[in-house]
This record gives sequence, structure tokens and C-alpha cells, in this order.
Amino acid sequence: MQLQLGIGAILAALFLILYAIPNWVSSPSNVRNIVLSPLFWPYILGGLTGLVGLGLLLTGRQRIGGGAPVNEPIDDPRQGMLRLAAMAVLMVASFRVMPWLGLVWTSMLAFVALAFLVRTRHPAAAVVCAVVVPLILYAFFAHVASVAIPQGELVRLP
Amino acid sequence: MSLFDSVMAGLALVGNFEAFLSLVIGIVIGVIGGAIPGISATMAVALALPFTFPMAPINGILLLLGVYKGGIFGGSIPAILIKTPGTPASSATILDGHPMAERGEAGRALGMALWASCTADFVSNLALIFFAGFLASFALSFGPPEFFALILFSLTIIAGVSGESLLRGALSALLGLLLATIGLDLVYGTNRFTFGDPNLMGGLNFIAVLIGLFAIPEVINMVWHPTGHVGKVQKLGSKWVTFAEYKRCFRSIIRGSFIGVFLGSIPGIGAAPAAFLSYSEARRKSPNRANFGKGEIEGVAASEAGNNGVAGATLIPLLALGVPGDVITAIIIGAFMVHGLQPGPMMFVLNVDIIYGLFIGLILSSGILFIVGGLAIRGFRPVADIPKRILMPMVLVLCIYGVFAVNNNIFDVGVMFAMGWVGFVMGRYHIPAAPFLIAFILGPLLEDNFRQSMLMSGGSPDILLRGPITWFFWALTVISIVAITRGTLRAGRAAG
Repeated sequence: MQLQLGIGAILAALFLILYAIPNWVSSPSNVRNIVLSPLFWPYILGGLTGLVGLGLLLTGRQRIGGGAPVNEPIDDPRQGMLRLAAMAVLMVASFRVMPWLGLVWTSMLAFVALAFLVRTRHPAAAVVCAVVVPLILYAFFAHVASVAIPQGELVRLP
Repeated sequence: MSLFDSVMAGLALVGNFEAFLSLVIGIVIGVIGGAIPGISATMAVALALPFTFPMAPINGILLLLGVYKGGIFGGSIPAILIKTPGTPASSATILDGHPMAERGEAGRALGMALWASCTADFVSNLALIFFAGFLASFALSFGPPEFFALILFSLTIIAGVSGESLLRGALSALLGLLLATIGLDLVYGTNRFTFGDPNLMGGLNFIAVLIGLFAIPEVINMVWHPTGHVGKVQKLGSKWVTFAEYKRCFRSIIRGSFIGVFLGSIPGIGAAPAAFLSYSEARRKSPNRANFGKGEIEGVAASEAGNNGVAGATLIPLLALGVPGDVITAIIIGAFMVHGLQPGPMMFVLNVDIIYGLFIGLILSSGILFIVGGLAIRGFRPVADIPKRILMPMVLVLCIYGVFAVNNNIFDVGVMFAMGWVGFVMGRYHIPAAPFLIAFILGPLLEDNFRQSMLMSGGSPDILLRGPITWFFWALTVISIVAITRGTLRAGRAAG
């Protein structure tokens, strides 16, 4: 695992130094001193990432065959990956529909979806909580804390 | 006016039911606000501010100070119970507080958090009373080079929270430093990793990153392994913190309190770095250092002492110089001004009764916090008993509302989700999240102060060693690095 991390860090450092910083960090042409340039700090961090990656690579090579911590296994990794993919879809969908559906209704749907994704043993309680919790939070944030909670375009709450 | 006269004048101002009630209400609001992720002590103080306008000046300010102190403690409740820090200051409390909750010792962890918070709060208040003048003049002599040296030293605390591998901790810190560079460059105003998106120009929202890194990975872990928690106890537990445990942790609490006082008296540092520094020092000095990160009660005590030690000390530059030490005191300074008071040296001459009234109120607040905090722990007890597969969707919804409420921005919710996946992957690869967070907080401060120093000196690095304060922090940094290197080599040899 340390080896993978080391390789990943070196690749990330190379990507930063060779592509990301030159393309995505802009610097004025009249900077007198390199240490004052907006590019200086990202380059330093990119270089350090490469060095740490090298360190991880070297220590990882020494540890091959033992010492590296192993993650807790699960019964069915394929099912686990599917659930993770569903979670990613849930997050992206929540983020996308939030302006249209409003925070309250999106939260209710996300609550129910997540509760069933984690195979809750209390489905009725989950549905009740999915309705009640976002409403309580809405009442608190909108009417006590005066936060403008997005209402969406379908159903508006008082 | 003699000291006795000043104290009596202060007592005359606060020795009434209204002042006492203001303090109690403030602490209750603060504890509840701090315990709700996304509200935070800052937002709670901001929300309470308009309600203080019609009040007498001393009562209004006491209410706000109560909210501030209550908020800093309140943040530890969700940090311990659901691994979601209510305020950034409680991030370090998660490291040992949540593992204790997972062992069914949440009550013990919360109890120690309360005891350590009240002790540190008391020490901080005493420091404010006795050292306001001295510490304020010391803090005033800090320029960008001194700040740079101090923050560089503070970054060495990463070693203390890196867990089993210093290299993985360093990688985590570098990732935090890199993400902290996102936004407009502060000197030239040019874009850095913004991809033309206006939402990224102000950088990543700190609360979104914080909650994304600590709370969302818990939700994703539950999705990955829905029955992983079965068999693990997640209850408040019948065990409560004992006086013997408090005595055992007392040195760490006092050390953390002084770290908090020191960092709090320097404007701009804040409570979160103080908590991490206190935690790191406690881990370094403790005979139980191997248990840190696995549910060591001394870790909870040190973190809470560090962040609450800041609470009184941030008022030192506020009262003595009129300079706010952090965002919360910047809001509180507004309350002073609304009531026609101008904090600063002249206030010690013109409004000495209010100054001493505040001192008396602050001393009282530590005791009130102890009572209100104890009740709050019992009030939040049901949270520990909620089935985890109902609790996690609740946490998700709470995080969405909390993160949205900080800036009224849906984009921050997206940042939180993205950081959740980053935190999940980091967890799978055993990369600790705490160094990331420390670096994310300190990174912009480090870079800004470095570049300001270079601007001041025309690019000459000599300015970074310009006086005794910078020498002191450079020496501490070198000593820390030598100690860390020796410790790592020794651990490597011991592992064979």
C-alpha cells in the first residue's frame, strides 16, 4: 500500500509541476522576484509532494511482504462497490436537483435513499425521520437563524 | 481609582439578576449553537448580536461572551458523539473523543471535555485579568516575519497527529496546503486553480472542507460496510469521568490552557491550531502516547483545554488594544461600538467599571458553563442511542443544512461531498485527516506572511531572522524537527 501511495504521490507531483501549475495558475509578467510570484508556493508544494512520494516509495519497497496495514475486509466487495457507486450518484443527484427541488425535499429524498442504501432495519422510523428531520432543520434555520433556505420551484414552505 | 474601587464598581454593574441571566442565556445559546454542526460559535454570536442592542451594555456583552464560551464547548458534543465537529475548534477532540464513544464511553469523554473546558476557561480568564497589558504589548510586536516563524513552528505539530506513519501524515499535510492555494492570489489577484469558476475565487470554504473530511467519510464507510458497526457499542455509557482521571490529565489540561492563552492572545491564530498544538504536546509528553488516537481520555482533555484556553485570551488584544483576536471577537467589538464603547487602552481609564464587570462576569461564566454543559451532555444523550443506520442519514442531512447555512451557497455542499470522498479514500489508505486540516488552516497564513515578509524586505530572506522572537520560534522549529527525526528513527529501529 505504501508503494502505491508513493507512486501516486510522484505522479501527482509530476502532473502538478508539468501541467497543472503552468496551465491553471496565472502569474503577472512583471513579477520582479520569483519568491513573490503566485507560482512559487504551488511549485514548492509540488516538489515536496514528489519528495514525500519518493520517501513512501523507498520505505514501501523495504516493507514489501509485511508491515503494511490492511483494510478491514467486507463479505462482498462487489456489492460494496455497487453501493459506493449508488452513493456517488445520490450525492451528484442531490447536488444537481437542490436548486430546483429545494433543500427540504432534496434532503427528505436523500435521507430515505441513504437509509435504504445502508439497509436500515427500521424502515418506518427512517421514513418518519426523513420527513421530520429536514422540516425541523428548515424551521430552525429559516425562522430562527434567518438563513434563506432554497425552497425550489415545486412546493414552497411557509 | 484603586483596584478595590475598580472591583467594587464592576461588581455593582454585574451583581444583579439581569447580568447573571444574560450570561446564563448566552451560555445556553452557545452550547446549543456549538452542538449543531454548521451553526458554530461564530454564527451563534452573530445571530445573538442584534438581540443585545436594546440591552444594557454590560448585559449585552456578557450575553455574547457567554455564547462564545458555550459555543466552543458545545462543539465537542457532536465531535465526540457523531464525529462531526460542531465548531472548527473541536476538530482535534474527534481524534480520541469519537473512538471513546465507539467503545461506549461517550459519557466519560464528554465529562472530561467539560472538566477540561471549564478549567482552561478559568485559566484563560485569569490570564486575561492578570496579563492583558503585558501579553497585548507582546502580541503587538509580531510582524509578518514573526508570524511566519510561529506558523512554521506550529506546522511541526503535524508530526504529533500523523499516527503510524510520518510520511503519510506529511502527504496529508501537503494535500491540505495544496487545496489551500485554491482561489485568488492575495498579492496579485490572479487565479490559482479556480478554472474560471467564481465560486472557487474565494477558496474552498473551511467548514465544508472540515465537515466533508470528518463527517461524510463516516457516512460513506457505512454505505461500504452497512453492518460494520454491529457489535460495537455506541452509547453514552454508565461510566463518568472520575476525579482521579482529571488529576491524571491535569498537567495536559494546564499545558493546553497556557498554549490556548498564548495563541489566543496573538490575533489571527484561532482556537483550532491551539487545540491541535495542545493535543500534540500532550501526546509527546504522555506515558500513554501509544493510546493517543485510539480513545485516550488525556487526548480529549488536551484538545478541549487548548481550544477553551483561547476563549478568554482572545479578549486580551480586544480589550487592551482594540484589536479583535478572531472572527468572534470581531463581532463582539461591534457590540461594544453599538453601545458607544471603544475597546482599547482608553477603556481602562474611561470605562473601568465595565472592564472589571466583564472580568467578574467571565470568572462566573466558567462555573455556569460547568452546570449548563453538564445538563447539555444529558440533553444530547438520546443521540448516542439512535440506531446507526438512522443516525447516518440524519448526519448527512444535518451536514447539508449546516454547510449550506454558512455562506448560503449550494456550491459549498458540493465541496463537502467531494471532500467526503477524499476523506474516505484517505481513510482506506490509512492517511490521517488531522494533518490535512492543520495544513489547510495554517497554509494560507504561512504563505501570506512569507510573501508579506519578502515584500517588506525586497526579497531578502534575512528578514525571516530579524529579531529575538523569530530566533526563538526558529530554534523551537529546529528542536522539534530534530526530536521528530530522532523519534522516527528510533521507532524504525524498534520495528526492525
